[in-house]
Amino acid sequence: MSFAPIPKVLVTKIGFDGHDRGSRIVAAALRDAGMEVIYTAPWQEINAVVKLATEEDVDVIGISSLATDHLIVPKLMDALREAGLGDTAVIVGGIVPDEDEQMLLDAGVARVFHPGSPLAAIAEYVRDITPTIRARRAAH
Amino acid sequence: MTQPAAIGSQALIPPGLLAGERRAVARTISRIEQGAPGAAAVRAALGPHLGRAHVIGITGAPGAGKSTLVHALLGELLARGRRVGVVAVDPSSPISGGAVLGDRVRMGTHGAHPDVFIRSVASRGHLGGLSRTTVGIVDVFDAAGFDTVIVETVGAGQSEIEIMRVADTRIVLCPPGLGDDVQAIKAGILEIADLLAVTKSDLAGAQSTARELRDMLQLRARRPDSGWKVVVVCTSAATGEGVAALLDQALAHAAVAGRGRRLGARPERPREGEIDEAFRRVIGLADADPFVRALGIACTDAGPGSATVTMTLGPEHLNFNGSCHGGVVFALADTAFGLAANSHGSVAAGIDAHITYQQAAHAGDRLTARAIEVSRSRKLAVYRVDVTRGDGRSISSFTGTVYITQTTHPRAAPHGPHAEATAQRAPAGPSKPQ
Amino acid sequence: MNKPIDSALLKPDDPHARWQQEYAAQIGADRAVANRSGIPVKPLYTQRDWPADASVDAALGLPGQPPYTRGIYATMHRGRTWTQRQLTGLGTPQEYNARLLDVLAQGATAVSLIPCNSVFRGIDMDDSHIELLGTCGTVVNTAAHMDRALQGVDLAATSCALNDPSPFTLLAFMLAAAKRRGTDWRSVSGTSNQSDYISHYVANHMFFRIALPGARRILGDHIEFCNRHVPKWNPMSVVGQHMQQAGATPAEALAFTLSTAIQNAEDCVARGMDPDQFLPRFTFFFDISISFFEEVAKFRAARRIWARVTRERFGAKDPRAWRFKFHAQTSGVDLTRQQPLNNIARVTVQAMAGILGGLQSLHTDAYDEALSCPSEFGARIAVATQNILREEAHLTDVIDPLGGSFYVETLTDQMQAEVERVMALIEDAGGMFKAVESGLVQRMIGESARRFQSQVDSLEQTVVGVNAYQVEEDRSARPINARPDRAAMQAHLDAFRADKAARCAADVRHALDNLARAAGDGRDNVFGRVVEAAEAGCTHGEICATLRRELGFGHVQAIV
Repeated sequence: MSFAPIPKVLVTKIGFDGHDRGSRIVAAALRDAGMEVIYTAPWQEINAVVKLATEEDVDVIGISSLATDHLIVPKLMDALREAGLGDTAVIVGGIVPDEDEQMLLDAGVARVFHPGSPLAAIAEYVRDITPTIRARRAAH
Repeated sequence: MTQPAAIGSQALIPPGLLAGERRAVARTISRIEQGAPGAAAVRAALGPHLGRAHVIGITGAPGAGKSTLVHALLGELLARGRRVGVVAVDPSSPISGGAVLGDRVRMGTHGAHPDVFIRSVASRGHLGGLSRTTVGIVDVFDAAGFDTVIVETVGAGQSEIEIMRVADTRIVLCPPGLGDDVQAIKAGILEIADLLAVTKSDLAGAQSTARELRDMLQLRARRPDSGWKVVVVCTSAATGEGVAALLDQALAHAAVAGRGRRLGARPERPREGEIDEAFRRVIGLADADPFVRALGIACTDAGPGSATVTMTLGPEHLNFNGSCHGGVVFALADTAFGLAANSHGSVAAGIDAHITYQQAAHAGDRLTARAIEVSRSRKLAVYRVDVTRGDGRSISSFTGTVYITQTTHPRAAPHGPHAEATAQRAPAGPSKPQ
Repeated sequence: MNKPIDSALLKPDDPHARWQQEYAAQIGADRAVANRSGIPVKPLYTQRDWPADASVDAALGLPGQPPYTRGIYATMHRGRTWTQRQLTGLGTPQEYNARLLDVLAQGATAVSLIPCNSVFRGIDMDDSHIELLGTCGTVVNTAAHMDRALQGVDLAATSCALNDPSPFTLLAFMLAAAKRRGTDWRSVSGTSNQSDYISHYVANHMFFRIALPGARRILGDHIEFCNRHVPKWNPMSVVGQHMQQAGATPAEALAFTLSTAIQNAEDCVARGMDPDQFLPRFTFFFDISISFFEEVAKFRAARRIWARVTRERFGAKDPRAWRFKFHAQTSGVDLTRQQPLNNIARVTVQAMAGILGGLQSLHTDAYDEALSCPSEFGARIAVATQNILREEAHLTDVIDPLGGSFYVETLTDQMQAEVERVMALIEDAGGMFKAVESGLVQRMIGESARRFQSQVDSLEQTVVGVNAYQVEEDRSARPINARPDRAAMQAHLDAFRADKAARCAADVRHALDNLARAAGDGRDNVFGRVVEAAEAGCTHGEICATLRRELGFGHVQAIV
């Protein structure tokens, strides 16, 4: 109980949308839950996200998507796998139509958080999966 | 690209690291940051590969413009064809222990350049401007073949002399308009600086600040170790003025004082491997302490003779007045004391302790107890513990004495991803429902 | 605790005191209530709060007379109803055109075009992820596309609002199309919607950034050009919506918006323009939250403040310069994904607040706005909502019907005071441009956003279906979102590539060179060169890339 891993989380936005009120709130909530958050401006290119996730060796990437930008998340998943970051968990938060949620999960997204998801649930999810991610990495 | 078969400890170096492969560098840094098993050994194995990189430390008061200058320096270094690693240290929140990292340093375009590698690090309660692991992270960049490593640190104050042990060239930033406050600059800062940069030189007051600094430096002798004479440079990230000149001066300093001079160990400071070992030992002890677990105390930092622990107060920790029970504060301070005293490896038993209570604490407060070694002889050692609240107020002071026995602790059980996966979760932050 | 009232103790000649006693006895545990702008709200307002005597009448005024509290026109909606301006945009110009004609046939009286997000980002369709093309707006990259999108629309008779990022290429395309059709620019009317670069800098939306000084210059050129060549066009649309959606309180949003308008007006004056000439073409764009009375008071206070500012600060003499004209959109931020049909009720309340607040033009959100880009089905209900409010609820029969309400008048005064307090803060910071450059405005908005979030977290603010009154959702009740036809979009992309290749390269090169040169020459009008480039067949992406290169990129702050 005395030294639990401190999750390192990237909170970012890809695609065209710039509305970041929600992603800022999530980043602040994760910090207040004792996590280390890398927060970027919106409109990140996919390869920039991959580079950042590689260098910072984050455990979880949180993608905030409001205006159909989730449709290119599968491209991000491919790019992450190609860069050897298949063990990094990707969660998507924001407006995702029900019919697209399965598509994202099939592409390898770990979980989708819809609007109104309690911030505590997001923090708890990140805290829960981090040890598994670290264990998987240590095994390689 | 196949590397020649590695021999002995060199086999511990992760494949791809010496070639600067991005993921290998990042994962090695993580292992050191997390104190994973074998991390100290990996660090030791890097030893023969160190000393090539020029490590530039940049520090200065908040608002002095560090991140902007770092970004401008990156541009200048890239223009000169250098491969640059950046270690950006940001403070952890004293209230939650979490942090938002690197947002300023990543604001510009250089982060996307293939020859730039940015790693953000949280201070995690470590005083002094760096994190406990900054030195190790810099070593990884050095071994991975980066030409230049920039370390950007938190704030400036007397404790920022930490940068001494991590950088070859130390740049201290002063914003313009310090005016009379230049006199008030703590002597320690001028002691450590190899270069002084007056930032935002496009603003009024920059020239007079530079003049005052030069006047103060006149009174100083040259550096005894290298003969380098400290220089003041005016820079403006807005206009680009002075950035190339600053870099030129930094390179000139490295030529005079030598790259890798940071590696020369200062005898009174413990080597990094010892710090790691003490840290892991203390974590192991804390893990094995049922009372520590029962109270929800977490150890966040430790070294030889020092330990930092935290806990968040719940309603069960209060007395009949509704404030924190003195016994809880005592327990927290005593925990830090015991861990620090036992960090060297010998079993130490407390024989005397005193505490004063200065301020009250209440449910929801996050308390931190920091123990440092005041003295240690063969048989006795004395520790001082300071207990603070989330807002930084000191709520209690504690002094303790231990008797050092002949028994040593068994080698610390490995704590790492495996142990973490099976350990219970640490007490949750404010977001978890009670 | 209900203590029985001893009527002998009551003073029969002070009914107010009697009410207070009864209220206190019956209410039990009362709670302190404040609206989103932080203004405390009492249980009852009476003449003691707002005595309707002659001196107050002067502050109130009559419709069409300064200070315009009750409305900027003498007739308001009774004379001419508000413009039903539904924002639309989807897919290819052909698909947009079909839906546009449909919406016009159902009673919408004006055109509104939202371009694809790729256009907001300043890139052409051949530079974008194809998955994202046309999902939330129409892909218009050339004058020819614009012409097709507005086929069958008489540009001389229909007001067009274009959601147009700097450098306002959509208007340039439209003017090029008008010229091709032989329509005189002097009869073209409409608005460069959201032309306010400051609000996009402050609250991230979609619009790409040119560095602040460059954006300032382009806007000034745009206003000057339109004033001279397209006199019925409103080039300046000052936006309060983004800031309110990012978390600013209604009072803050109004204060920041008015401060932005002042900043832009001063920039025009610095160019030697005449306030009586350019101020009448300033329009405003606001969010309407569901805080009903607060929004009504906000708009009434806005009219009063703007009337004073235009007269006293800018010395405008033409009454048309004093009038606060605004378009408002119901706030998507108040809508929920859970139980989406509830949003119809929310939009109705928001729309009523805007109408009773005296707007000139209204967009009602579709109920599925929070699920994705709105469906045709939802868009129809949104238009019907406005028709119902106008013709069944008869909201247009009386001008400013809430005027004279003790509460609404008191609240209008209080909102005005709060707005002026924030405007003074901006003044002290050196004006809106400097306040935004320094991050002051962004920090204030962030704090308000955090405060509201903690109210939702603590259940102080209920969000039906989200933090209270939750139900197990019936998934089948959600409409499937319309996605642009992939085959049609591919055809659009292929045609675009072919058209690009078929252009006269020299003309294009020449126009872009002129544009680049204009950016470097302070005496030239950049927007005029944008129009020429549009006429020469340059694409949106080419025009934007040229200007970003010459004037610099605007950096994006990432502050948590």
